[in-house]
Amino acid sequence: MLSVGPRQTLRIYLALLVVCFLSLTAAGQLDDPDPNSPTPILVRAKNSKRVLAVPADTGARAEIVSPSRDAFAPGARIAVFVTGISLMDGEGANAFRVYAEDSRGRKYRFPVVDLYRIKSPSPTYALVFQLRDEIGYWDAPAAGDLLLRVSWRGMTSDRSRIGYGVTGGPIKDDQVPYSRLFTYSLNNGLPAKSKGLDEPAYAGYRWSGDRMRFLQQASFGATEPLDQRIRRIGIRTWLAEQFEAPYPSATNAFPDIPLKPSTAPADCDNNQTVPDVPVTCFRDTYTMYPLQAWFFREAYYGDAQLRHRVAWALGQIWVISGVDTQQSRHMIEWYKVLSNNAFGNYRTLMKEMTLNPGMGNYLDMVRSTRTNPNENYARELKQLFTIGLFMLNQDGTLQLDGNGQPIPTYDQEGVNNFTKVLTGWNFCNNGCPNSAPGVVNYIDPIIINAGRTTPGANQHDLTAKTLLAYPGSTTTNIAACTGTCDDSIASINTYATNSLEQTLDNIFYHPNVGPFVSKILIQHLVTSDPTPAYVGRVTAVFNDNGAGVRGDLKSVIRAILIDPEARGDVKTDPNFGKLREPVQLMTNVARTFNVTNAAGTGPSDGVFYSPTNNLMTTMAQTAFYAPTVFNYYSPDYVIPGTTLLGPEFALMTTGTAIARANFANTMVYNRINASGTNVPVGTAFQYGDMQALAAEDLTGGLLLDALNYKMLHGSMSTEMRNTILTAVTSLPTTSTLQRAQQAVYLVATSSQFQIQR
Amino acid sequence: MNESRREFLRKSGGCALGMVTLATQMQHFGLMSALAQKTGKGGNSPQGGENYKALVLVFMSGGTDGNNMVVPNHNDATLSNYTAYANLRSNLAIAQGSLLPISVPRMGNLTYGLHPSLGPGTTNNGIHELWAQQRLAIVTNVGTLVRPTTKAQMTQSSHPKPYQLYSHSDQVAQYQTSISNTQAFTGWGGRVSDKLTASSNPNGLIPMVTSIAGSQLFTSGQATLPMAINDSNTSLANVLNPSGFTNSSNGGPARLTAFNDLRDIDLQSNFVAAASHVTELAMQANAALQSPGDTTVTFPNTSIGRQLRQVARLIKRRTELNVNRQIFYCQIGGFDTHTNQINNQANLLGQLGQAVRSFYDEISTQGAINDVTLFTLSDFSRTMNPAGAGTASVGSDHAWGNHMFVLGGAVAGGNFYGMNTATNGTPYPQLVLAGQDDADNGSNARGRWIPTTSVEQYAATLARWFGLAEADMASVFPNLPNFPTTDLGFMT
Repeated sequence: MLSVGPRQTLRIYLALLVVCFLSLTAAGQLDDPDPNSPTPILVRAKNSKRVLAVPADTGARAEIVSPSRDAFAPGARIAVFVTGISLMDGEGANAFRVYAEDSRGRKYRFPVVDLYRIKSPSPTYALVFQLRDEIGYWDAPAAGDLLLRVSWRGMTSDRSRIGYGVTGGPIKDDQVPYSRLFTYSLNNGLPAKSKGLDEPAYAGYRWSGDRMRFLQQASFGATEPLDQRIRRIGIRTWLAEQFEAPYPSATNAFPDIPLKPSTAPADCDNNQTVPDVPVTCFRDTYTMYPLQAWFFREAYYGDAQLRHRVAWALGQIWVISGVDTQQSRHMIEWYKVLSNNAFGNYRTLMKEMTLNPGMGNYLDMVRSTRTNPNENYARELKQLFTIGLFMLNQDGTLQLDGNGQPIPTYDQEGVNNFTKVLTGWNFCNNGCPNSAPGVVNYIDPIIINAGRTTPGANQHDLTAKTLLAYPGSTTTNIAACTGTCDDSIASINTYATNSLEQTLDNIFYHPNVGPFVSKILIQHLVTSDPTPAYVGRVTAVFNDNGAGVRGDLKSVIRAILIDPEARGDVKTDPNFGKLREPVQLMTNVARTFNVTNAAGTGPSDGVFYSPTNNLMTTMAQTAFYAPTVFNYYSPDYVIPGTTLLGPEFALMTTGTAIARANFANTMVYNRINASGTNVPVGTAFQYGDMQALAAEDLTGGLLLDALNYKMLHGSMSTEMRNTILTAVTSLPTTSTLQRAQQAVYLVATSSQFQIQR
Repeated sequence: MNESRREFLRKSGGCALGMVTLATQMQHFGLMSALAQKTGKGGNSPQGGENYKALVLVFMSGGTDGNNMVVPNHNDATLSNYTAYANLRSNLAIAQGSLLPISVPRMGNLTYGLHPSLGPGTTNNGIHELWAQQRLAIVTNVGTLVRPTTKAQMTQSSHPKPYQLYSHSDQVAQYQTSISNTQAFTGWGGRVSDKLTASSNPNGLIPMVTSIAGSQLFTSGQATLPMAINDSNTSLANVLNPSGFTNSSNGGPARLTAFNDLRDIDLQSNFVAAASHVTELAMQANAALQSPGDTTVTFPNTSIGRQLRQVARLIKRRTELNVNRQIFYCQIGGFDTHTNQINNQANLLGQLGQAVRSFYDEISTQGAINDVTLFTLSDFSRTMNPAGAGTASVGSDHAWGNHMFVLGGAVAGGNFYGMNTATNGTPYPQLVLAGQDDADNGSNARGRWIPTTSVEQYAATLARWFGLAEADMASVFPNLPNFPTTDLGFMT
């Protein structure tokens, strides 16, 4: 079975070879190389729907030989053969995933353990995996044939049979090759003469699907102008522009709110017994309203889209919440730390967050003292913000001990030690630029021993602390401060500040930080369940940006967005993509349809609710109101019934599914009307361009082409298109606006659009 | 047969590929019974509302301080008494005179005290008086455990312990999954539903499990996808009702047809299929929720009050919805009282007591109180030793073993339940810092009680009453065989 002896004639049978070659003859810019990775081909046995597979138990290298084996014992190591691909340097086994489905329709993932090139005329690889589910959602597969497929860079092979224990059983072959199920129906982009476009020369074919996909990942919504700009300058240049773009927009400065006393004065307490001055004083001072409205305006109209998007993602790692932090002003400084450091260094972000007064309040660090330590921040700093609970490999997968169990990164004793280091910090209510009598200073960083002048008043724990020990760790303990710390509060403060730096370094250089942070950022921007190889490539950049710098987020973000697993016109892997979180859903649709105020005469006010219909809350994501420090959803959430990570699906319930449809109904058939002082000018989406297309083409074809391009980057299936066309053409040809609305509603509410892929 | 069901059949029959993939998805999400019903199978099944039982979970999110919910109110020197409590709690101690007394047979009829907020409030008399009526039981010192664990075993690395003690997300997960030795994808409510849906709710028009507090691990099984709906501020008829489809002047009916048809397309993507499936469930449930009827008892207008009122509305409709078993998830948040605990916990427990009593009265009015059991869980308890100083700002940190409330007509109320500690031979822990019941050691010990009763023992007792077969116990509660008893006796 294993060919380790004399070379045998190599025979590769490609029963199904479906590779789409895009025409390279079209005129277009060449700034960006072809973003499309080829489709992996899983080699089949001759004239068979059965995968060509051989045992790989011995550890010897398998070669393609005949006959292949039909059935394998559960747990066996098996080699199958993949061709049609072209690997980058260092790209190996962890770039591949092997999925199978059994006759009960249950899906499994088998651990890939090896990949190596075999001797063959065209590049062909043996992919070794174990016939054992690695997810554990279901019990073992049902005995009999499974349908097996291999995915790589978001592309999937067709499915072939493999016997699990025995061959046969009730499973059915795919009736359509898997690689054709994801059609790419927008063959030529938009018709060149379509009225919906301003640029007559716009033809929009070459990689236009990838540009729109890219923009869905890198902004709060793809738009035609951005697509055209990237077509001219390329993705890399656009990224470079974005890294330098002023933020926030000149016309949308951060809300300027003064710090106010913790108890609202009578003329600003939302109680008109003493009239509030102005009448909106309470709202503008004590609620999250100004920050929320600012955030949505920036998402709609801002030029620094990427920084806004990355800051929003980082804010779902370093969570603080309006549930506790009730004044926008208390949260704005936190958001500035996020946005200032979105393309900065993670180590700087760690320090600025640790000393951020909003965070200090939210996770109680400002209340943690030598005598009354509070471990809240110390715990979450490690668990949620930097290293996570378990030791990770550099590709983000769990390290396992000899018993197959994950290895904790720290224990309670570790939390206690870090708690000690972080004692004694408090608001700077005296002597800082924004200190003022009677208010808590939520602007300047918190300081050590605020207001304490003598060693006896010290609040910082001076005992010895043990830090994290890990492969490569340097300083793993902090000595007790004796002697000098008896002398003056200044020496204590120096000790505490140095201890903080040592501790943050100790965490920052932990090997988990790269994979932990990289994977979450990938999940926020590109795909919920990235391959380990993708995580590993980004981690490598986190660890060293090429100039010897660790933690350079600009390089990390670039690596995430230009990775071959992210790029391409269309992804065929059924497990590629992510559910649009409600904020993305709202802003993506808004930007697609030229969001304006309710009257259509100017910009929206950014208020995404009306007094009777809080669109954010009903979809379970009120901006800046994460329910807990664990964010709106966990990065580890697995979609019920699947083997698939899908964090945002934690927000997808029967209730919010309908709320999403009702959001579309409101914004397609109605608007958020201006209402009193709380909704100054309202919000509407504009469908005039779509109406014009409905009028121009009474078959509805142009309308559907445009929506396919704008919302689904050309990935709309023929079946979906026909279904929507039926509903569109049921309306009279003269009802052009209603036809446009019908089509927009159906795309916006479709599951296909709920998923960013 | 309602519109969406007809639609469903038509679509399924209309496209061979769609049928296969849809059937696959349906199987994944445990709707095969529903599919079978639509195709005329399963006609000999029990009618909804007969032999009805419901479990109602109230999760006290953030980790409620059990030390101040159930307090020793006696002066017996042989057990931890009020003085021992007050000394350790310092500024967190509740004045002895304000505790609501309960007599505990299990403790030799000594008096303990409930938190004062569990008595009369602005809406009703609260839950304290249900103790004397033997409708309220307390299961003491419950917590996440892999095996029974002593103080000595805490330091033995070979002794399996729950992963990430004192961490919110992990401990919440362990309470909700019941599994403490490894991360798990399914909750015990969902797994109970997996086992019972086919036999108990074969024709159910909504899933067995309903969350009024969003998506929760507790509610997810291998084959169970729960229904999640808003609280009673939204009527049941509107809770899952999509807008706009009835407007025929702008093509609403055609839009609805396409909206439904699109859910059968492009299901090769597992993400698209998952989104479509949730929406499909919502549309089916919506059709079933259109019949009228409301609660009659006054509920407090708090989040937990509105959640429990929504549960009561669904229970009232159990016959129309064709369900014989239901599991509900409600949640009251804010118990993570590192600071300002005295006021905050009092406020929250007041909301809890008032809402639960309204629920109890409403279900009694419905004649179903013997069929409905409400019980509590929380992340963990909190340190006996306070965090911070002062009387207003004092709080407490994350700890472990906690006291749970169980309430209903089928509860053997008026007593403590749970395993005895080795220290004092009772189910109430010995209140001594660094003592034999404290997981902490040394002079910095905070008082984090090592649980004597596992979440699984507690859950299994409820699940047995609910109808889970003995043969299914070990698969639903995998670590249960590690414990000496699987029935704590608080259900009659």
